[in-house]
Amino acid sequence: MAIVDIGGGLALHTQRVGPRGGQPVTATAVLVHGLLTDSLASYYFTVAPAFAASGIDVVMYDLRGHGRSTRPATGYTLDDSIDDLEALLDRLEVTGPVHLVGNSYGGTVAFGYAARHPERAASVTLIESEPASVSWAAKLDGALGRVMHELAHNEAEAIAWITANRSQNTARLAKGAARLARETSLARDVPASRVLTDDEISSVRCPVLGVYGGDSELAGLAPWMESVLPDCRTVVVPGHEHSVFVEAPGTIGGHILSLVLGAPVPVRLAGAEAR
Amino acid sequence: MRGLNGHTGTAVGEETVLADITGMLATLLDEYGLDDVDIRMETTFNRDLELESIDLVTLAGLLEEKYGNRVNFAEFVADMDFDEIIELTVGRLVEHVVASLKATEAG
Repeated sequence: MAIVDIGGGLALHTQRVGPRGGQPVTATAVLVHGLLTDSLASYYFTVAPAFAASGIDVVMYDLRGHGRSTRPATGYTLDDSIDDLEALLDRLEVTGPVHLVGNSYGGTVAFGYAARHPERAASVTLIESEPASVSWAAKLDGALGRVMHELAHNEAEAIAWITANRSQNTARLAKGAARLARETSLARDVPASRVLTDDEISSVRCPVLGVYGGDSELAGLAPWMESVLPDCRTVVVPGHEHSVFVEAPGTIGGHILSLVLGAPVPVRLAGAEAR
Repeated sequence: MRGLNGHTGTAVGEETVLADITGMLATLLDEYGLDDVDIRMETTFNRDLELESIDLVTLAGLLEEKYGNRVNFAEFVADMDFDEIIELTVGRLVEHVVASLKATEAG
């Protein structure tokens, strides 16, 4: 485990895995997780081992407030998240073009980094995610408002319902999310983020891969993404909703690997493809 | 150097590995103010110990510190489906570690 001090009293929990046994590094990928219930563990135990075995230097980190990173009370706008990623990669001396991968909010951070530093982005993969726009901010305002109202301030009742109707594991994740939402300004800050203009969005010229669950509301974004981005391809995975990445990491990992390695067809991921 | 297990050379048995892993889990659980937790082969990480996946990342680091790259917890877990991960027991990890150490010794 590495705790990387990025200044300003912030330390980000970072994990880095790469090829072993003298195999050369062919590319660097930076994987960014989603809000509230997520952490770098979602990548560490799914696609990271296979990416490393394919010659990729894999950088994963916990966003501020999440996992084992510092949890400041404030500073949760999208620009704060992009500043953190920028500072982390500077500390790690990862300055060359990187393949950015983000799930949900993590994809919006990854895209924002690519828009800020086009020369440092080799590609961007958005899983159940989209660039920061006015409609993105409105969606996040609604979703985080529900988290505050139905979960953070009604925790006992919400957790009882989740335990009865979902699972013990989901209830534990929800408790962690409620604590993060109550202890920080995250739910206010994210929807108040500065968003990108249409020109800023279409200025991302590197290859962009969009991956959506067929039953997710976000699947409708696919045609728009392909029309506004100069080099964008989208994949819709049938039978999944917003949590498509944790449910089908093998399928999605294969699409990412083929993009990063420049393979013509989706690569099958050893082990994980059965999911 | 010959191990305590006699003629099998440096082969490490389940009891030794269980003791090692129990020590690592005690370190992790101590952060949550839990000490004196009973850990057996059938104990589950998720239901019994209430560890989150990020805690298992820390455990992976402790395993690597102890056994080097002979044991790769992330690869072991990446081969499982979600329900298997939820049901993962200390015993299954112990068996995996013993098998990995044996395999590298043979090779």
